[in-house]
Amino acid sequence: MTVMPDRSAHPTAFILRVFMVWRGLFALLALVAVLGLWIVPGLGASPWQKIVLSMALCIAALFSLLGLFDIAKRLHRGRTISLILDYLAFVACLVIVLNTGGVFTGIDALADTFGRGILYLGIIVAGYLLGSLSDRYSHRPATERWLGSVSKWIMIAGAVLFVWKIDAVNGLLFFLRNLLQPAGWIAVTGIILFGLSLWGMWHETTASRLQVKTHHEAMLNGWLFLSPNLIGFLIFFAGPLLLSFFFSFTDSDAFNPPNWVGFENYAKIFNIRFTGLASPDQLAREVVDTKIYDEVGRLRLGNGGILFAAADPFFWLALRNTLTFALFTVPLSVLPALILANILNSKLPGMKFFRAVYFIPSIAAIVGIALVWQWLYNATIGYINYFITQGVEFLNTTFQAGLVDPKIQWVSDERTALMSVIIIAAWQTMGFNTVLFLAGLQNIPPELYEAATVDGAGAWARFWNITIPMLAPSTFYVVSTTTIQAMQVFEQVFILMNPAEGPNNSTITLVLYLYRKGFINFQQGYASAIAWVLFIVIFGLTLIQFQRQRRSSIYES
Amino acid sequence: MNLNSYRFFRLLTNASVYVVLTFFAVLMLFPFFYMLSTSFKLPADTFRYPPRMLPRDPVSSAVPGFDEPLELYYVEYQGERREFALARSNIKVGTYAAPEAPGIVYERRLSEVSPTGGAMNQKTVLFNGEQEKLFDVEVDGQVVPMVLLSQTTVGEFIDPQNPEVKVTQNVRLSEPVENINWHPENYSEVIALRGLDRALTNTILVTILVVVGQLVTSVVGGYAFARLQFPGRNFIFVFYLGTVMIPFVMLIVPLYQLMVLIGWSDRLAALIVPWIFTAYGTFLMRQHFITFPKEIEEAALIDGASRFQILRTILLPASVPALATQATFTFLYAWNSFVWPLIIINVGNEKNHVLTLALNVLRGRASDTPNLILAGAAIAILPPLIVFILGQRFFVESVASSGVKG
Repeated sequence: MTVMPDRSAHPTAFILRVFMVWRGLFALLALVAVLGLWIVPGLGASPWQKIVLSMALCIAALFSLLGLFDIAKRLHRGRTISLILDYLAFVACLVIVLNTGGVFTGIDALADTFGRGILYLGIIVAGYLLGSLSDRYSHRPATERWLGSVSKWIMIAGAVLFVWKIDAVNGLLFFLRNLLQPAGWIAVTGIILFGLSLWGMWHETTASRLQVKTHHEAMLNGWLFLSPNLIGFLIFFAGPLLLSFFFSFTDSDAFNPPNWVGFENYAKIFNIRFTGLASPDQLAREVVDTKIYDEVGRLRLGNGGILFAAADPFFWLALRNTLTFALFTVPLSVLPALILANILNSKLPGMKFFRAVYFIPSIAAIVGIALVWQWLYNATIGYINYFITQGVEFLNTTFQAGLVDPKIQWVSDERTALMSVIIIAAWQTMGFNTVLFLAGLQNIPPELYEAATVDGAGAWARFWNITIPMLAPSTFYVVSTTTIQAMQVFEQVFILMNPAEGPNNSTITLVLYLYRKGFINFQQGYASAIAWVLFIVIFGLTLIQFQRQRRSSIYES
Repeated sequence: MNLNSYRFFRLLTNASVYVVLTFFAVLMLFPFFYMLSTSFKLPADTFRYPPRMLPRDPVSSAVPGFDEPLELYYVEYQGERREFALARSNIKVGTYAAPEAPGIVYERRLSEVSPTGGAMNQKTVLFNGEQEKLFDVEVDGQVVPMVLLSQTTVGEFIDPQNPEVKVTQNVRLSEPVENINWHPENYSEVIALRGLDRALTNTILVTILVVVGQLVTSVVGGYAFARLQFPGRNFIFVFYLGTVMIPFVMLIVPLYQLMVLIGWSDRLAALIVPWIFTAYGTFLMRQHFITFPKEIEEAALIDGASRFQILRTILLPASVPALATQATFTFLYAWNSFVWPLIIINVGNEKNHVLTLALNVLRGRASDTPNLILAGAAIAILPPLIVFILGQRFFVESVASSGVKG
């Protein structure tokens, strides 16, 4: 019975009472906002957005009331709830302030003036480098201190000049002027209120009053530290991923509300027919309904054959091309990498140089690389055909080989178009894979090789019986990442080919087809379905490799 | 095997190892050399066959009697190879023969012969089954009517020292006199003409903001995963890990709609904000922080330091290599990305183009000037290359370690 007066006598009791009122007010405001959302006309939100927003606000109101009772009962859970709610509201207000202030869209305007400031950014970097140089003079404190202060002033001067050059003052004024809109100052008020509430709740005296333990602090710290990442991740990754799944069951076209169509998109993709042919060259329209189906390919068997027709032939062509691409690119970039890594693993001088050189193609922009190769592939003036011509002439003159110069029309010939893309991709990933293999090789204990040599194993036996099995984890990693990348081939094809589908659709790939469907035809529901099929294919391929790796990695552990 | 033959064998294998390695090194570097050298050429030089590595310019020489300097070519003059100036080109030359004796042919300029019987009613003759026009051709002071067998174009070459000496021969088959000359102005030209400066600015801005943003979120997130106990941590971590292998193209459709919804389509913000939050970077930072000794932190905690202070003053200064590695990765990713900018930025909105997009536009517009296209490609490729060369050592090491751990 004596507990109550004690509590109210405590100096924090008043603050806690303010927090209880605040939680009640919070819940009330959230409910008012829900009401306003449905009553006020002309908000421009679709029913779906309204429903989602109202649900979020109602949940917030509920939790706020729960927090009110917890604080009344002096439970630490009240503090947790209070902090989380206020934090989320704070972040929301902050985003609204940044948005109405025009910060996000203002990046475009910043780009106008940013070019003038780049030079001064360079000055800041130079100042920093000078400062890091000062560490080398630790034996001469005077020089070190001098260098340190010089670097500091250079950096400050650079920063001031940079801010001045990019016209940051005008930008700030623009930002503040925008905040005068109702949404702006309401959100600023929100930031101040929620910020005050957070500060009060976070404070030690409040915390100790609510019996907060160290592990509660760690928990809140954990959520706080993860929150920027997690919120962004949910908005820009997990949410869109779920949306993508939803879209794949709709006829979404990006601009109108999507209609639910069930499995129609998937049904269209998988609407395929295998039909027997009376003769190898029988016309497709004689055996399938060409209003629905188109021929994808045919298998010629003696006097007959099998016709493969699909309602969406481009998808199956794209799948065929993508799988062919992966089937060639993976071995072409992995096997040479394995050999090169074994060579580089020798203790000869200069190996680090070669390793760095092999790595260079993988860091260059694919777009730029594809442009370079486009001219190398040029049938009349390109270097590749020139080298082939030289080679043919050399063979003809020295060995009387009688070869004919093929004069390959690399990118405009249906038979070589995909091969040209494969060569670029293999060239570009080979060095990266070499470095990965090399790291795996350096992890193999040398004792194994020594023991094998003592037992009389030759180089080949050592490679086959030690290197290959011990390298299995690296091989799995290399092969699966290369496969995943190869299945998503797009940029090389898009830049190299004109049109991107290549001659007679010979280089249409799954991602290219997805791009065409989603962003040229704006059939985004269908494009989402293609994306999910692509994901299933990639997932399946990775799973198969994983199983094989598990079975073969008997030497591990 | 005696020692000498063993040594010889070793030498041989080492030599062959270097031959193989050098072959692959040339294979890897050749496209880059080609790109650089072509970017310094003149357009006409890029279309020459057989292709040559070094950029060359045609040499001109001032010749008395001509206002402009004339281009020099190698010609055969009195059995000697001489450098002559091209004085006139496009001179039409016909091969004529008398219908009675088609075996004896005469070469005359078209301007030197006139139609037999006048231009209005030119006489014809039946020759090889067809009616052919007759021309008056002067042979040894006599005018003989002849038919035109074939026609070519030649140029008139003169000796620059002695303009009276003339030689005519086919211009296209003549080898021009050239000297090696670099044209760095290709770069300023492509920057000015195709708006690559704006694209370069945009790319730098986007890359800096993405790198800084990603570092911040993955450092704090990675620290939370590595050091702080909170409910849901392990679940969220497994979830993060699971999403690392989801291909990015899964997201382009819903992300595009999200950007349209919040009004960011066609804006640079769309190239920055969604890429600040990364599961993979957070995972890498967590792997790094988890190797850190816990004791220092615990001591600091007892001294009353907050988690944020610990992260800022103790962990971050000791994490510079890890941060640099991740910054380099992100830099490359942001600098080289193409698919997302292609989708979200309109082709027409050149103000917001990044380099890869600008290259895509350039490819279509400047298809007749490979020197400019490859100068553009070099502008896009060289900055990452410089970053790579500067941070080469630990960048390659970290790629290697990610493979071993992964």
